[in-house]
Amino acid sequence: MTDRVGLTWHPQLAAAILASRERIDLVEVIPEGVFLESRRAQRALRTLAREVPVSIHGVSLGLASTRPVDDWRLDQFARLVDCVRPECWSEHLAFVRGEGVELPHLAAPARTATTIDATAVNLARAARAVGAFPLVENVATLIDPPGSEVSEQVWLNQLLATTSADVLLDLHNLYANGVNFGFDPAEVLRAIPADRIRVIHLAGGTTVQASTGEQRWLDDHRHDVPDPVYALLEDVGELVPHPVDVVLERDGAFPPFAELLVQLDRARAALRAGRARRASS
Amino acid sequence: MSPAFETFVARLYVDEKLRQAFLADAAAVAEGAGLTADEIRAVERIDRTGLELAARVFEQKRRHRAESIPPAVRWWRRVTGSRRAR
Repeated sequence: MTDRVGLTWHPQLAAAILASRERIDLVEVIPEGVFLESRRAQRALRTLAREVPVSIHGVSLGLASTRPVDDWRLDQFARLVDCVRPECWSEHLAFVRGEGVELPHLAAPARTATTIDATAVNLARAARAVGAFPLVENVATLIDPPGSEVSEQVWLNQLLATTSADVLLDLHNLYANGVNFGFDPAEVLRAIPADRIRVIHLAGGTTVQASTGEQRWLDDHRHDVPDPVYALLEDVGELVPHPVDVVLERDGAFPPFAELLVQLDRARAALRAGRARRASS
Repeated sequence: MSPAFETFVARLYVDEKLRQAFLADAAAVAEGAGLTADEIRAVERIDRTGLELAARVFEQKRRHRAESIPPAVRWWRRVTGSRRAR
């Protein structure tokens, strides 16, 4: 069993990542902004993919939507995947637009039977266009998604029952939603089919306060991974029967690179502890 | 929930004027947007704290994204109406 640990690719981290290859097993690349649109950038990414395992992580398709995903967006992803040949690709269980309105960030869908069916259709179309199902990632939300009829856990498990797409489980998103809406993320983790979990995201966040004084936890990718998220990662090591890839997402307020490497080491240690628990149970 | 519902929620997140009108009279604004009776009931129960915070973060993301795009690219997208503006 070989679990792997890596981090999100950023141009400002590129030199440090390549200089620390012995401690970084893989990188995850967000293609929007450069790689989807530039053939030259795609060829550069293909070169990188020969040096280090690369996965593609989309943020713009809006697959968890009652709207059909745009063909031209899927065509972009198909061309990118065909050029780069990443190990896998992934997208969020979010909607990012409505009729005439583009959201600048991911929005959690209403958790209903309608959005499950529509998401499954979008995932099937994405798989046909790109040649493989994306891994699907749970999203963090500050708002209880309007119109929801079931919990996040029920919605996700019902979706997984209707699609062949496997899971990119973001443990910080799970933690944030647990803090914000009063559920135990470890319980939800145990309810997700462990054989469908392929990739793990780790990240950090911070408290935000409303005008009423109520506080919630924001997934901002600008802070260190909090301790409870490492505890969830240990649970993953115990529960998931196959090797997993773990990706540290850090998108700003970058600390010295050595501190990111320390977080990767801590992730490996948490996974090892979980694997040990699994072996002894 | 329909695409119209999703569009309405998306606009609530990013359209300050609509959001203020909605917070003053949720049912009337939702009805004016053509939502069904079930959908109107759903948005009347909206998590108002979450709406405030989500809207704040969406606005921060919008500003950050706008600032991170080089001025020449912003101009070109404005002129061409590029669909790749995201």
